[in-house]
Amino acid sequence: MLMCSRRVPGFAFLLACSMPLAAAAHQAGQMDMAAMDQGPSLGASAAFGPDGRLWLATARDGHVQLRHSDDLGKHFSAAVDVNRTAEKIDAHGENRPEVSVLPDGTVSVAWTHPLAKPWTSEVRFARSIDGGESFSKPITLSGNNPNGSRGFATLAVAGNGEPVIAWIDNGDVNTPKIPGKPHAASLFYSWSNDGGKTFGAPRRMPGHSCECCRIALVREPDGRVAALFRGVYGDNIRDHSLAVLDTDGKPDDPARVTFSGWQVAACPEQGPGLAIGSNGVMHGVWYEAKNGPAIWYGQLDPGHPPKHVLKIGGPGASHADVAAHGDSVWIVWNQVNAKGYQLLERTSRDDGITFSAPRVIAESKVAVYSPQLLLRDGRAYTAWNTADGFRLIALHGAAGKAP
Amino acid sequence: MIRRAVLVLLVCCALPAFARAAPLALLTAADVPALLKPPARGERIIALWSLDCAYCEPNLAALARLQRAHPKQTELVLVATDGPGQHAAVAARIKEMGMAAYPARLYAEPAPQHINYLIDPDWGGETPRTLVIRANGTRTAISGELTAEQLKRIGP
Repeated sequence: MLMCSRRVPGFAFLLACSMPLAAAAHQAGQMDMAAMDQGPSLGASAAFGPDGRLWLATARDGHVQLRHSDDLGKHFSAAVDVNRTAEKIDAHGENRPEVSVLPDGTVSVAWTHPLAKPWTSEVRFARSIDGGESFSKPITLSGNNPNGSRGFATLAVAGNGEPVIAWIDNGDVNTPKIPGKPHAASLFYSWSNDGGKTFGAPRRMPGHSCECCRIALVREPDGRVAALFRGVYGDNIRDHSLAVLDTDGKPDDPARVTFSGWQVAACPEQGPGLAIGSNGVMHGVWYEAKNGPAIWYGQLDPGHPPKHVLKIGGPGASHADVAAHGDSVWIVWNQVNAKGYQLLERTSRDDGITFSAPRVIAESKVAVYSPQLLLRDGRAYTAWNTADGFRLIALHGAAGKAP
Repeated sequence: MIRRAVLVLLVCCALPAFARAAPLALLTAADVPALLKPPARGERIIALWSLDCAYCEPNLAALARLQRAHPKQTELVLVATDGPGQHAAVAARIKEMGMAAYPARLYAEPAPQHINYLIDPDWGGETPRTLVIRANGTRTAISGELTAEQLKRIGP
């Protein structure tokens, strides 16, 4: 629901009187779907708990719903409503209900709640301390400005075992305006010191962010949480920023980490992926389209162009994610063609210096959501929500084939 | 003043075909070839947009101005990439924008990538995206809110 509040002056009358006759004829024979139900959304996220249990957050009929599986996604528990009172939930574009599990088993859930006024929304949070059987009353983390527009709530667990949450806020009064632009967005974050019972006042990260792309949050080896997100540099240059979400002192300015120079006054709706190895190497995947659509991998070097850059995909490739463990680095992404979707994977065994050839590890004839890489016991799994249902695909066991 | 308002009302009533709100129809994969078929004359502008796109409304307004300037040579079709679950929200937004009289489509699939690819494989899904298809079969595709120069270039 994140959106600027720029409105177009009404010109209905002039428009109506100058329409070509072709307009009415164009609709002949087409269905009027005005009565269609909202239905389940594709937006979903998954996380492994400390005991290896898989948790899955989805949205349906005004409720964020949580299920869990103890057999790697073969069977799931019945869904539990996180918010008892139904409310609008944005699981559209790259917005999704977000789940994360603390080391003590507390289940944290966050989502974007659109408000009644168009292009206004807030970030909501609830937790369960009884193994997902019940949830606390949702709290709003993003301030009380009824005209605010926030979204892409993302959760991580800091080294101290406490939840950290980040989101994009478009038009906050503390965000400096961009000359000549009606809107300006920034990354905001907050954290808890009591297991998610309460959160501190939101903190704004300096600089500007893209308005419509997800955030990647990852814990660094020192326990702090880092965010990779699409920034806005100069006149609509949509390169990426890396920031440490400091919970002690004042946060440092985010560092630019991609330098593609893609300049566009548009919503890419494709945020980056981030993984940080125990050696501190930062593996990023991102989308840009300066010379046609492209997904890239690179090792991020704050303030400098990335190293070991590799083009992962071109036309039809989207929504990549990355994970790292030891010397292994995994990349997954969606590849679409006229027939449908493929889930593709490449693996590195030398910390991202070289990668295997792409292989197809799953296919779908129906719509799919962004793949999400999860780690358990040093093994990588892909969470893939499709219009036919959720799949968890083990990368080590997937047969795979050439695309 | 009142006489002028009455005159405007009468003109509107005399042009029911122009003033009628077009229903928001779903765009399936099978519908894409017809959407992309070159028009018999002039050009068809396909305005791809989405609810969450900050740049889309001013872009749609600019394209509507272009269409009004060349009504006989230019057909404008609005195509929202949001998916069928957003039907009510998209229809409401079109109405708010005062563009309900234009033909409007909404992706029939809940994720946009497949139909995006069928419309233009060289498009990664960013919105707004403007696709111009001319009667002679040539096409121009531009991502982002159009500049004055780009608007001039895509006109008939």
